[in-house]
Amino acid sequence: MSKGRNASSRRNFLKSAGLVGAAAATAVTPPVAADAAPAAPLSKKALPPGPRQIAAETMPPANDPVNQSSSGGDFMVDVLKTLDIDYLAINCASSYRGLHEAVVNHGGNTKPEIITCVHEDIAVHMGQGYAKIEGKPIAMACHGVVGLQHATMAIYNAWCDRVPVLVFGGNIMEADKRAPGAEWVHAGVDIGQIVREFTKWDDQPASLQHFGESVVRAYKIACTPPMGPVFIALDGELQENPIPDRKALRIPKYEPVIPPQGDAAALAEAAKLLVNAQNPVILCDRVARTPEGMANLVALAEALQCPVIDNRGRMNFPSRHPLNQSFRRALIGQADVILAIEMNDLWGSLTHFHDRIVRASNPATKPGAKIITLGVRDLYLKSNYQDFGRWQDVDLDIAGDGEASLPVLTDAVLRASDAGRKAAFAERGKKLAAAHQATVEHAKGEATIGWDASPITTARMCAEVYNQIKDEDWSLVGTAIQLNWMHRLWDIKKPYQWNGVSGGSGVGYNLPASIGAALANKKHGRFTVAFGGDGDFMFSPGALWTAAHHNIPILYIVHNNRAYHQEYMYLTAMAARHGRGVDRMDIGTTLKEPNIDYATVGRGMGAHGEGPITDPKDLAPALTRAIAAVKAGGPAVVDVVTDPR
Amino acid sequence: MSTFRLVAAAGLFAAALLGATSVGAQGQDPPAGDAAHGRVVFLKEACFTCHGRSGQGGAYNGPAPVLAQTALPLEGFRAQIRNPVNDMPAYSDAVLSDKDIADIYAFVRSLPGPRSPKDIPILNN
Repeated sequence: MSKGRNASSRRNFLKSAGLVGAAAATAVTPPVAADAAPAAPLSKKALPPGPRQIAAETMPPANDPVNQSSSGGDFMVDVLKTLDIDYLAINCASSYRGLHEAVVNHGGNTKPEIITCVHEDIAVHMGQGYAKIEGKPIAMACHGVVGLQHATMAIYNAWCDRVPVLVFGGNIMEADKRAPGAEWVHAGVDIGQIVREFTKWDDQPASLQHFGESVVRAYKIACTPPMGPVFIALDGELQENPIPDRKALRIPKYEPVIPPQGDAAALAEAAKLLVNAQNPVILCDRVARTPEGMANLVALAEALQCPVIDNRGRMNFPSRHPLNQSFRRALIGQADVILAIEMNDLWGSLTHFHDRIVRASNPATKPGAKIITLGVRDLYLKSNYQDFGRWQDVDLDIAGDGEASLPVLTDAVLRASDAGRKAAFAERGKKLAAAHQATVEHAKGEATIGWDASPITTARMCAEVYNQIKDEDWSLVGTAIQLNWMHRLWDIKKPYQWNGVSGGSGVGYNLPASIGAALANKKHGRFTVAFGGDGDFMFSPGALWTAAHHNIPILYIVHNNRAYHQEYMYLTAMAARHGRGVDRMDIGTTLKEPNIDYATVGRGMGAHGEGPITDPKDLAPALTRAIAAVKAGGPAVVDVVTDPR
Repeated sequence: MSTFRLVAAAGLFAAALLGATSVGAQGQDPPAGDAAHGRVVFLKEACFTCHGRSGQGGAYNGPAPVLAQTALPLEGFRAQIRNPVNDMPAYSDAVLSDKDIADIYAFVRSLPGPRSPKDIPILNN
């Protein structure tokens, strides 16, 4: 909307309501007529300024006040406080300076407290890690279209991971209010468009009342399963201008949605199929969204004495539970009934796919196996990004939140199980327990191979870390690609002892998301530990500065195989396919010459640094020192030079 | 690409190699290959990237099996390299000669296999 120079703009209209009148103050000094003062005699010495010059140099012109007693940003902070938002993670920027100042001064820098980040990707990834531990979102603010574009990969990870994050982006909607230069190149007509394909909802409020309602709505949408990121554009004028009438503004009441339970009759039908099955299998991915989720799944599995194959999108099932059969995926091929709960890419879990010249696939399931799905993921999909995976035929598709529906399903299973079936379940349970124990012993045996080798094996790295943290109230919040020794060897059993992976497999998640999770753990006094790849680390090493600056304790182990190793292997496969140059596939895939010294990088960011550690005998003492630093309240980086996998 | 889809896809390869242990190398003559040269080739031709420098196994699109002390016979070992099941890349004789394969075989057969976990206290936490 274009306005003429003399038009009464919204900004000036609003200012008239709440500004302390600087113009009025100028009125006490009457204007001086040009001819009122006698001409001064010429002198070589400089004359003192006359009243007119003083006025011109010190007084703002009329209708351009310089003070105000309230701002829209204050109201925005009031809204955020009603939502109990703990933190606002930011990389500071002029496009939301009004909100920033209000958070600090009007809000007292608490609820939310500013978390200073050196990149928007770090801010949003921290929110993703935080939400998966604390069960609620924090907020982030991005600088117009440039900051939002920085944040996109992290928002996409949160989308794929079904995690609530509340992202704000500064913008100046009215073109005639934008200063020349940066305010134009940072503005957009519809900046939410940048992330619309991978957020659940977005809006660009045009008034403070609109802001209040949109933020509460966005928060509610983000936290309703299937959860996901939301985006709100923050108009600069709304943030900075005075509030015309605070009493006229109402902050909407937030009431969380009770997650939908699956249809009772459908759950009873599922229970009947499971009870009568000879070899049922439970597949799960992102089931547990509260501490009750894992307990609910354990109850169902125990009622059936049924194997659980956990894709580990959340802390769904204890690693050492006898029914945890996650490393015996061949059970899928023996199953006559499969219950898949809150799965991402179900087809991928039920199919053998062959990454060969001809990309063929065949079912991993046996013919006639009944497939039941329970979840809400497919209730909210977008078109462009293909994170929904390939179509999978199923026999019973129950729409309902997995965690909320499990107690009803378990009750139905118990009611449908007669004494004969319970006896059969018990026998099955004994066999599964023995198989689980054999799997654990097999893992321990494999872990011994190369125990004293350098580079250090990933098994030894994980075992050494566990040995030193096992008696802490620990929380494991990150891993590297294909690094699963923790789930093979560690006793992972509390709801906060695992929080899943990136979702979108966007590199650069692990370090900032782990620090976000550590921020959530800090208030509970937990010891946070995470592993991450060296390639991932280098996407956002600045996250360590945030951890140091805000005293966020975390033990971060760099699984340093000096490569983007998955790509190294893929490239090797390409060369082998062509029968050429297999020995040259380190070109473009490795991080060497020079080797990166992650401990020094960490120290440069204010963290404690250990390494690079190449001799396995040096690992334990380095971990001891690093753990002491974490217990002192800060981050510690341990650079472990490892074998690839 | 989903890690778990990949795990599922490559599982058969692991099963194929591990299952082959039943035919075993027990009773075979000692490998005729040159283990020292085999180590050089194992590292140069990127075998270690999936199977680990100690032959401890690892992962590509799914689990890559342990090779240390492999119980596969040489012929089975060569067949898997030339015409692998599932996602392992095929190495033609343009990349690996039969002698190279025999040397690699000698190398992986020379690698120490698993020890008793009881000898390593921290594996029993």
